[in-house]
Amino acid sequence: MTIIHVLPRSARVMLAASLLVASGSCGMALAAGYPQVTGARLAAAASDNGWLMFRRDYAGNSFAPFTQINAHNVQNLHEVWSYRSTLKQGYEATPIVNGRYLFITTPKDHLIALDAVTGKVLWKYVRPMQGVGFKTVCCDVVNRGVALYGDDVYMATLDNYVVALNATTGKVVWQRQLKPADVGYAMTLAPMVLKGMVIVGESGGEYGARDFIQALNAKTGALLWRRWSTPAPGHPGGNTWPKGMYAHGGGSAWITGTYDPTTDTLFWGVGNPAPWLAKLRPGLNLFTDSLLALHPRTGKIKWYYQYTPHDSWDYDGVNTPVITTLRYHGRQYRAIVHADRNGWFYAINRVNGKLIYARPFTRATSVAGFKNGLPYTNNALRPAMNKQVFTCPSFLGGKNWWPISVDPMTHMAYVPTIHTCMTMKGVPTFYHPGLPYLGESFEVVHDPADHHWGALQAINLDTGRAAWNHESDLPWDAGAMSTAGGVVFSGSARGHLYAFDARTGQVLWRSPQLSSGIIAPPSTYVVDGKQYVAILAGWGGGTPIWGGKMVPAVKQIPRGGHLYVFALR
Amino acid sequence: MSLPCGNRGARVGGRFAVLLGVALSFAALGLQRGEAAVPALYTAAQARSGERVYEHHCASCHGKQEQGLVGPALRGPIFASVKANYTVRDIFLFLSVNMPAPAPGSLSPLQYVDVMSFLLRQNGFPAGTVRLTATTAGSSAVPLRYHGGAPAPAVRAPAGGGCGRQAVRSAAGAGPAPRHCPATPGGPMPRALR
Ligand code: HEC
Repeated sequence: MTIIHVLPRSARVMLAASLLVASGSCGMALAAGYPQVTGARLAAAASDNGWLMFRRDYAGNSFAPFTQINAHNVQNLHEVWSYRSTLKQGYEATPIVNGRYLFITTPKDHLIALDAVTGKVLWKYVRPMQGVGFKTVCCDVVNRGVALYGDDVYMATLDNYVVALNATTGKVVWQRQLKPADVGYAMTLAPMVLKGMVIVGESGGEYGARDFIQALNAKTGALLWRRWSTPAPGHPGGNTWPKGMYAHGGGSAWITGTYDPTTDTLFWGVGNPAPWLAKLRPGLNLFTDSLLALHPRTGKIKWYYQYTPHDSWDYDGVNTPVITTLRYHGRQYRAIVHADRNGWFYAINRVNGKLIYARPFTRATSVAGFKNGLPYTNNALRPAMNKQVFTCPSFLGGKNWWPISVDPMTHMAYVPTIHTCMTMKGVPTFYHPGLPYLGESFEVVHDPADHHWGALQAINLDTGRAAWNHESDLPWDAGAMSTAGGVVFSGSARGHLYAFDARTGQVLWRSPQLSSGIIAPPSTYVVDGKQYVAILAGWGGGTPIWGGKMVPAVKQIPRGGHLYVFALR
Repeated sequence: MSLPCGNRGARVGGRFAVLLGVALSFAALGLQRGEAAVPALYTAAQARSGERVYEHHCASCHGKQEQGLVGPALRGPIFASVKANYTVRDIFLFLSVNMPAPAPGSLSPLQYVDVMSFLLRQNGFPAGTVRLTATTAGSSAVPLRYHGGAPAPAVRAPAGGGCGRQAVRSAAGAGPAPRHCPATPGGPMPRALR
């Protein structure tokens, strides 16, 4: 284990001591006083002064109740500190904050703890990766951040470990490998802590892995339950696969889920089936491209909703399912809202899994419409061997993983969007552990009707229709955050952090150009009564790799990671 | 020179060469020292043009020295390992339909064969007199193993010590040599992007 303590031990003790004094009455002393992350605090994370988990709270809203930074003064934001990392790959982590501790992860799974007020590095953990080839990581060697519980911080790694480290020292408490590296599996997601469990999901839909969601004991790392996303014969859904193909059927679970305490349900999205070419695996291919509603104690499926049946376009259903309430045609619903890769914005009844409505939020032709609450596809737009199709959105999606934010005050969802279509055709493929298993070639091209590659748009939860739309010539590859100050934050590919008026979409403020483009979601926190906004710049991710005609447009974006923290002047 | 996986590789390769009727020539080098030969599957000229294909279409993701960047390393004992157990055919069939990632299948058949030749060279396979073709590459069961550092072609470093590939090659010698070549220019963004 390589733990780099950036400061000598004596300096660390002194730093801790001085901060103890400095922090005074707030009682959040550094190191000596790391505030315990209890189950109760996680349940109330929405109103915590920190930012305790991936999308701030279990509902996945990424909405903060802070008003110090608001629509009237946001133009007074300025940088209070920054931290630069040398790795040149993509930075997708949300800064996670507890008390004065701020945690980020970098490409290739470095974990860094910083003082949230001063930016001082407290400790750094570099995941040892000797012998790891990063062979089965499709979309950059990224990590999306940590989870917190007790005195520990958790990271999921590209070589399939869940690692628990002491939050104040960076020492490894336990680690457990779920699968070997380089044979199809990898993990890039931020873990979730729920009811004393750490829950993670595997990537690998491009390599014929058989993916799963895994719960571990947060204190010991003991395995608790595993939910395979492609069922074996004899299990529910097992008959939706041709003989044996579930075993290499993909169904990755690579984005953190959400939890609804009112129904005690864990929601988790499942990715595309493998191989990509659907003709090779007749059937519905459950539970790929689906929303799973799970019993959190056992991982048993309560119900599922498949966003794209028998997918041939790589439309992973992993984008965060956000828990909210909405009114549709005069009726009130406890709902999940979800902006899918396939270009449709779904509202689903979170009690019974029935569709409330679905509306396209970008050009969407592969999924052609809905009948009896279920999607149907345009079969003419299914690729086959030597049959090339043109369809929308591209496999990168109407949006990719970049999480939406849901604002209970405006009753809108803020949705990072890309406008792309693609050509796609069937090609030969074969399964070999470590190599992609696709059976298709493809190229991402412009949506003929919209030559902006990206947008950030607001969608009215009660109608599914756009309320405002901020178009961007470059793709919009970054997550969104909203606050009670009436501001929506999100970052651009050019490297500006934007503050939008939550109701109108008017640009209220734009940061100076940061050192790289932004693909990570922002977070916000309060220490000693002062509100901060944190964002990682660090271009990379899937777009510059698989983006086809988008690639030249983003080629010049400088690389390198840089955490910026802003506050009011 | 040590050939960690050469024995098994060459023998399997030889057997398949007979079975499949694939024309293979063997580097005589090393045989009398008890080391089995690594088959020569391509010509030096093919690897040279493959190097140019690599520079233009692959290096941005797999690294200027095939060391890996956002895509995996394409050279060395982790890429071409017993554990990964790739054959030349596996890698050729994969890359010729799925790479380069932004536009899979977009290169000409010749370019794919050339870049395969280049990857063989970089993983220590010797050049020979018989050209690699799409057919021989696409049916070759020769195990892809790392056979030591790539031979450094005699090249001049460009005047002014640029960070181009030529300079890297000559500096690389028997293995990837660390060089201070920024992946992207530092400092502020290019004007076009402001
Ligand atoms: C824009 C980025 C990008 C470019 C350009 C690119 N690749 Fe790749 N390549 C990847 C990624 C990412 C992977 C990881 C596997 C995957 O998901 O396909 C990969 C995988 C591979 C593999 C499989 C390696 C293994 O061990 O599994 C080979 C071989 C390969 N590429 C060859 C090439 C060649 C040859 C070129 C140029 C003709 C090229 N690539 C261009 C991104 C790229």
